[in-house]
Amino acid sequence: MKNKRYLAGPYLFWSVSFVVIPLLVIVYYAFTSDEGGFTLVNLAEITTPENLKALGISLLLSFVSTVVCLLLAYPLAMILSSKNMNQSSFIVLIFILPMWMNFLLRTMAWQTLLEKTGVINSVLNFLHLPSLEIINTPYAIVLGMVYNFLPFMVLPIYNVLIKIDKDVVNAARDLGANPVQTFLKITLPLSVPGVISGITMVFVPALTTFVISDLLGGGKILLIGNVIEQSFKQNSNWHVGSGLSLVLMVFIIASMALVAKYDKGEEGSML
Amino acid sequence: MMRKVLQKIYLGLIFFLLYAPIVTLIVLSFNNSKTRAKWGGFTLKWYSELFQNEQIMSALYTTLIIALLSAGIATVIGTAASIAIQGMKNRWRTLYMGLTNIPMMNAEIVMGISLMLLFIAIHVTLGFGTILIAHITFNIPYVILSVSPKLRQTSKHTYEAAMDLGASPLQAFFKVVFPDIMPGVLSGFMLAFTMSLDDFVITHFTKGPGIDTLSTKIYTEVRKGIKPEMYALSTILFTTVLVLLILVNYSPDSQEEGGKKARKAKKRPSKVRMMVVRRVIPAVIGLVVVAGGVYYAALSQTMNDEKVIVYNWGEYIDPEVLTIFEEETGIDVIYEEFETNEIMYPKVSSGAIAYDLVCPSDYMIQRMIENDLLAEIDFDNVPNAKYIGEGYMEQSRQFDPENKYSIPYCWGTVGILYNKTMVDEPVDSWSILWDEKYKDNILMQDSVRDAFAVALRYLGYSLNSTDLDELTAAEELLIEQKPLVQAYVIDQVRDKMIGNEAALGVIYSGEAIYTQWENPDLEYVIPKEGSNIWIDSWVIPKNAEHKENAEKFLNFLCRPDIALMNFEYITYSTPNVAAQEMIEDETIRNSEVAFPDLSKLPELETFRYLGPEADAVYNELWNKVKSD
Repeated sequence: MKNKRYLAGPYLFWSVSFVVIPLLVIVYYAFTSDEGGFTLVNLAEITTPENLKALGISLLLSFVSTVVCLLLAYPLAMILSSKNMNQSSFIVLIFILPMWMNFLLRTMAWQTLLEKTGVINSVLNFLHLPSLEIINTPYAIVLGMVYNFLPFMVLPIYNVLIKIDKDVVNAARDLGANPVQTFLKITLPLSVPGVISGITMVFVPALTTFVISDLLGGGKILLIGNVIEQSFKQNSNWHVGSGLSLVLMVFIIASMALVAKYDKGEEGSML
Repeated sequence: MMRKVLQKIYLGLIFFLLYAPIVTLIVLSFNNSKTRAKWGGFTLKWYSELFQNEQIMSALYTTLIIALLSAGIATVIGTAASIAIQGMKNRWRTLYMGLTNIPMMNAEIVMGISLMLLFIAIHVTLGFGTILIAHITFNIPYVILSVSPKLRQTSKHTYEAAMDLGASPLQAFFKVVFPDIMPGVLSGFMLAFTMSLDDFVITHFTKGPGIDTLSTKIYTEVRKGIKPEMYALSTILFTTVLVLLILVNYSPDSQEEGGKKARKAKKRPSKVRMMVVRRVIPAVIGLVVVAGGVYYAALSQTMNDEKVIVYNWGEYIDPEVLTIFEEETGIDVIYEEFETNEIMYPKVSSGAIAYDLVCPSDYMIQRMIENDLLAEIDFDNVPNAKYIGEGYMEQSRQFDPENKYSIPYCWGTVGILYNKTMVDEPVDSWSILWDEKYKDNILMQDSVRDAFAVALRYLGYSLNSTDLDELTAAEELLIEQKPLVQAYVIDQVRDKMIGNEAALGVIYSGEAIYTQWENPDLEYVIPKEGSNIWIDSWVIPKNAEHKENAEKFLNFLCRPDIALMNFEYITYSTPNVAAQEMIEDETIRNSEVAFPDLSKLPELETFRYLGPEADAVYNELWNKVKSD
């Protein structure tokens, strides 16, 4: 088994060169000022009311999107995994298919759909139903996040669910467990690794996005991603941008550490 | 039964969510109108124009090649790493998984920037290679996260059993473990491929001049309005993949719908299918990509030494003009686009890329002159400059005091565009943008200087004010306005106003003419409190390597017939007097919007560069407005 470890060699080299070292560059920028001296000012930028608010909204919206994605994706993955193999692999590809249209374009398309005189409202008007006014609000941003990131929740959950041995489920049923009990005691615990991957894949991009809020929020809602983007692009202040990014990373690491801890606990009980 | 129906309904709803935007884009690809806000009848012309658009096609092939290579390499490295990680002790495994999670956790923009900084630090030229490295880097974690859950579910014992029975480790792996994790590896590859295809942020920071993926190409277009050819391309891509999937999934096993047949009987057609999925399709796709790549690489190979590198605003020239120039002179035009002056500036000032001809705005030209970045234009080489109206050269002296460095290309004012059917009262003042009646019907400009210019002029101050009290007053005014604003946008004002989305919008005069063509209910005014007048001019950076070609191109652009072509394509007012006289449409030639009599207009000011400190103040106040 020992020689297996070398298989990680290329990956280790790659990660150190193109992930770790560049991050150290960011850390360097975060702790230095324009003149080159050591400073904590850049990190302290996060405490200004504007930035705190942006961070708060980002955390809230990405949390909501992750929960919505999970609630939508889990039943979906269960339905898909219960189909026979031929059909389901097709259905799964159907989820990847939309990504072949560029995501900037797809998100733009939601503008056309949601606008005041957009497609959805025209249909609603025609049916004499009240119009849907969510464009340029946080709801539209959540919709955009869910839309863009849902496949990243569905696929990992689906991947674990199809691996679950049907005999285990059947055994539980034979031993008298009702469908709810079977789900809670068997399927759910066994699918935790997939759920964890899914949460990671949704929460992080949602927390750090700036494009979705730009396109669907009408520029009225600033997420922390927008603030960082602006400090790099508009204000060209890389030091402050790096400082804020560092703070953001701390937040992500903290929330992921919580999730990972839960993951490990579950794994123990699984074995 | 009931359950089946519910399942169907649920799947249907999710599919609607996923596919509604896609149907929208497909419909737009047949829309005979350049704006997405209006249906102009059915057409196929975007499809035929797509294949003549060399820029889009080469962007497509760059995108596909990078996606294939990066996904392939990432799958190999990632799968190997997953297997190694699975066999590790807990502490090591945690370390590796932590390493894997870093790119996932990091904001894309930070990763993009950090890689760019690294490449610059070790003097690697930004280009195809750097994009590829960046894509592999963010793709590996997707592979690992897809493969690892699979691996965790495989039993160690089968592998060991295979070894006990005499299989070599490699054999045991490929015969026992690999089939089990295959779905994970495949979905990892697919994820990586699609992520690479879809990536924008990281590519944006790691790309060099003259190379574009579809995402970065679209991004430059978002602000100026997406070219309908893009919708056509997406539709083609999408349907190709869809057709492939249907072929793969339905043709070989359409007979065996029986479902619960004996397992053996089922295996065979599915093997054929897997063969098609694993070999034939990737081979076909690979072949098309490679062939296309070679073809488009060959196209760019024909470039001769005579070239000129032009850096212009997005959608700010008639592409036909570039072709004519290349045919007439044999000089190749390498054409790059920027979105804002602020993005353009560092690229030129860093000297990393030696542009020959750039088209910044007034205040940015002043900044470039002050920082000694520009070369003097040799006007003997640009005789056609005589067609530029004297009045515009006069205006230019505000930022180029001796008319040495710049030749005006386009100019215009900033004003209010309003919809006559939605606004009852006469519009003549910025105050209407603070009228409660138009709540949620106002579009503001999403850029610092433009937004503050509106508020400052409304208050009666100069739009170049650096007085903190005046600026704070403007900031408070903008915050007061925010609840009334429907959206802060840049060039989307155009589409939204055409589509009757809003009653009032702050807009550049150049867009006004086009919007009026598309929607005759729209009217443009310059408010009585005064506004901004701007000029975008051509300048030659000091480090230009083809200055003579740049001057040839500049001379070409000043030719009246060429200036006319550009005006008719982009509809921004041309300072070329001879071209103005050649405009056939009388209403446009005498348009008060396109060519106003400046003496009759309210007070107009040009933006000036205010220095880094004032810039910082503006940005800080603007952030307060935006985050309120």
